[in-house]
Amino acid sequence: MEMEPETLVTSSGGQDGSHSERPSEPSSSSTVARVKKLLFRQVLVGIKDGRFFMGTFHCMDKQGNIILQDAVEYRSTRRNSPSPMEQRCLGLILIPFSCRTSCHVECPIEEQMSLMTIQE
Amino acid sequence: MDWNSTPAEQAEPPMSRRSSLPLSSTIPASPNTVWVDATPLLQAACTDLLDGELIHGENFNLFAAMSALEIMDPKMDSGMICKYYSVDEAIEDGVGPVPISFDRTTDVQCTLDIMDHLLACEATWHKGHSLAQTVFSCIYLLRPERTVPSPILHSYCKIIRATCKAIVSVVSDARTHEEEDLFTMAYGLPLDGDGDEKSLSLLNAVEENLCRQLRACKAQSSRRKQDMEPLQSDIDMEEGYCKALLCRLRFRKHFFHVLACMRRPQGKGLELARKHIASSISELECIRKSADFLISTASGGCSIGIEDRTTASGRKPIGFDASLNSRVSAPAPPRSIKMLSWNKAIEYFEKLLRDLDFICSYSLDPSLEVLLRFVTQFQSSRPDLVARSHLQLLLVQEGRLYGRDPMFAVITRAAGLPETTKNHDIQRYESVMQLGQLVINMLKIVCTNTAWQRRKLGKSLQDWRVIYVQLELAFTNKFGEVLATSNDENGVARVVKQILIWLEEQAYWIAFRFLMLGFELELYSPSEFFMVYWYLYAVLVKLAEKTDSRMEITEITAAKRKGKKRKDSSKDVGRETRIPPAVRFLQCQIHLVEGLTLLQAALRNEMAALHSLTPFNSEQEIFLQHFELLQKACIPEQITYHSFKESTSYARFSNIATPNCFQQAQKLAKELRSSFSNDHDRLAELRRLEQVAEHNSVAMNVICQLGAVEPNSLKVSFEFIHHPCYATAVVRRA
Repeated sequence: MEMEPETLVTSSGGQDGSHSERPSEPSSSSTVARVKKLLFRQVLVGIKDGRFFMGTFHCMDKQGNIILQDAVEYRSTRRNSPSPMEQRCLGLILIPFSCRTSCHVECPIEEQMSLMTIQE
Repeated sequence: MDWNSTPAEQAEPPMSRRSSLPLSSTIPASPNTVWVDATPLLQAACTDLLDGELIHGENFNLFAAMSALEIMDPKMDSGMICKYYSVDEAIEDGVGPVPISFDRTTDVQCTLDIMDHLLACEATWHKGHSLAQTVFSCIYLLRPERTVPSPILHSYCKIIRATCKAIVSVVSDARTHEEEDLFTMAYGLPLDGDGDEKSLSLLNAVEENLCRQLRACKAQSSRRKQDMEPLQSDIDMEEGYCKALLCRLRFRKHFFHVLACMRRPQGKGLELARKHIASSISELECIRKSADFLISTASGGCSIGIEDRTTASGRKPIGFDASLNSRVSAPAPPRSIKMLSWNKAIEYFEKLLRDLDFICSYSLDPSLEVLLRFVTQFQSSRPDLVARSHLQLLLVQEGRLYGRDPMFAVITRAAGLPETTKNHDIQRYESVMQLGQLVINMLKIVCTNTAWQRRKLGKSLQDWRVIYVQLELAFTNKFGEVLATSNDENGVARVVKQILIWLEEQAYWIAFRFLMLGFELELYSPSEFFMVYWYLYAVLVKLAEKTDSRMEITEITAAKRKGKKRKDSSKDVGRETRIPPAVRFLQCQIHLVEGLTLLQAALRNEMAALHSLTPFNSEQEIFLQHFELLQKACIPEQITYHSFKESTSYARFSNIATPNCFQQAQKLAKELRSSFSNDHDRLAELRRLEQVAEHNSVAMNVICQLGAVEPNSLKVSFEFIHHPCYATAVVRRA
């Protein structure tokens, strides 16, 4: 959790986040490198049955399955109307891609722009 | 932020259709951060990743990651939302209506179904599941105050909660439910309700009302009191419904009283408990009989198979949802539960009541020997956790036997010392106090389930050995050679010596029980029987020796106290021929195991067919595996694999039949009948031993005669036909 990933945005404001000093490894691309930088950040994942899980981004695989560390489960007490959230701690969890409906990562406000400009 | 969604789209939460995050107001990140949608980036990265490549940090460990809980997997995700987000939502959706129905007949029918299903849930819980997913899958139980407008349902729910609370408390106090640890988890469940008094008084009021209604409907129509409002609207069915409700309520009342009486300290409530047990059993019988009536009331026939139904009527009960509470059972991963059927639930409670009755019939005998025999007999009926916990709490309360006798008094009595010894000073010595604790542990262990019991007994053997050595050492150091000659009567030396003799006897008893339980648990394969019987022989010989020593020294002590002078020659000779029946009982078993060992050894030595050597373990390894705990504790001493091989290698068909051990056992068993004429349990055991001996004697003769001539024409197997531990040889033509 305390490992600091490199900052996403260089001082020169390179929008695609690539760093020219580091030779890229043959197996990873810039998108993979960027996702690597999201490791250890707080991430909020939404699930098909309406629950949310917040935890530290720990791992992801090619299928899009995500592992979160120190995860907390949030659930509403009513399906369709605003209501207080209940939460409980779960620890290490695996969220299969198939049940994931959303995934948000915690960003300092200034970084928000660079992340949102990611192109396919 | 708004949660727009049309009522029709209830499958997906509103979130999925919005790209920005309304959640930021309910799950805030932190003051300087925002939530940003990372989905496109993640998707792009997934495309670029190579097969099998993972994105992870330096602290990632694949092995540790395997322990991650998989979300939406029913076996791991206890918070999975099936239908309702919470109990309140379910209630709002009408899952547990109060009153159940405005039609009083339907209301009564549904109440009966709820009562029956709760009985099935309760039995399922007792059998080893979590309270949250069984009994408390009932919405009516989860919100106690809601059921007030329906008095019958309300009183029933109250008494159920009070009963569950009482049972959780008993099992928690016994603290020997390590393998049934889910049982006592009650976090988040409304078990702390009103006091027991209120539950009972409410139940009594409802019962009285029902009685009046029953009387009213039975009375002649001309004399029928018009001011008594009937239970429900169908006059022809009134009697049936009243009776069905009454027996269910009465069962709960009596069962609750049983638990309350048995909890009274020092076994003071046992006699009263027996009365309530009898009433409970008779009410259960009435409940069973009500099934025919209730099935006939189920319109449209049985929805579930008749045998699997959890209610008498066969209808599915209203107001239950097992998934609502699943996350309260955390941290355990959710287990799938098959609810016991209604019939099986009744059978379970009948057995539980019988087991509790057996406990209540105990006379609280101050003799440890009698107690251990009682517990062994109790355990032979395979009682469940609830009954066993009750027994344990009866036996050991506040560090005393039955809450009454201090451990030192129990030990001195078991060692055969006079009553006055229980006030002796040595009870304050460290090692003596530790011995008392060891006895308490043993008593708790013998009340647990068989598998756990055997493991713990085996492990405790070393403790017994250590205590023996410590005790011996402590008093040798203090008094030097005094221990060797024990002529003083109430001196420390005599007391310690007798305690040491008893201690050894007790350790051998534990070893004996350890070995025998292995048969009950089917831990020995047939090819291993003969080494077990050989070891049993060694243990039994020692046990008989120590029992005899203990009894002899008890007699001597008692005789001295009466002031009789020892006439050396006559008394001694007389003593030798009067071996106590208890010892002869052991001798009968010694002959039996000797015979079994020799027979099996001869078969192995003469016929290769019985050698089922596996490529995995050698015979020596198997020997060490089975008897490791006994060997470590040197019980008995100087027993090794080699001594085992030596003593069995000579066995042949030609030499095992004379003397015929089985005939000796048979003869002894017959003779002992008169000594135990008042002891039903031991008489039954003697009968079984006699049968084993008789059949084996015949088999041995056949084997020895035929085996000498044509060994391969025989097929011999050892089966537990007459006794659960001593096998009978069955001889067939090959």
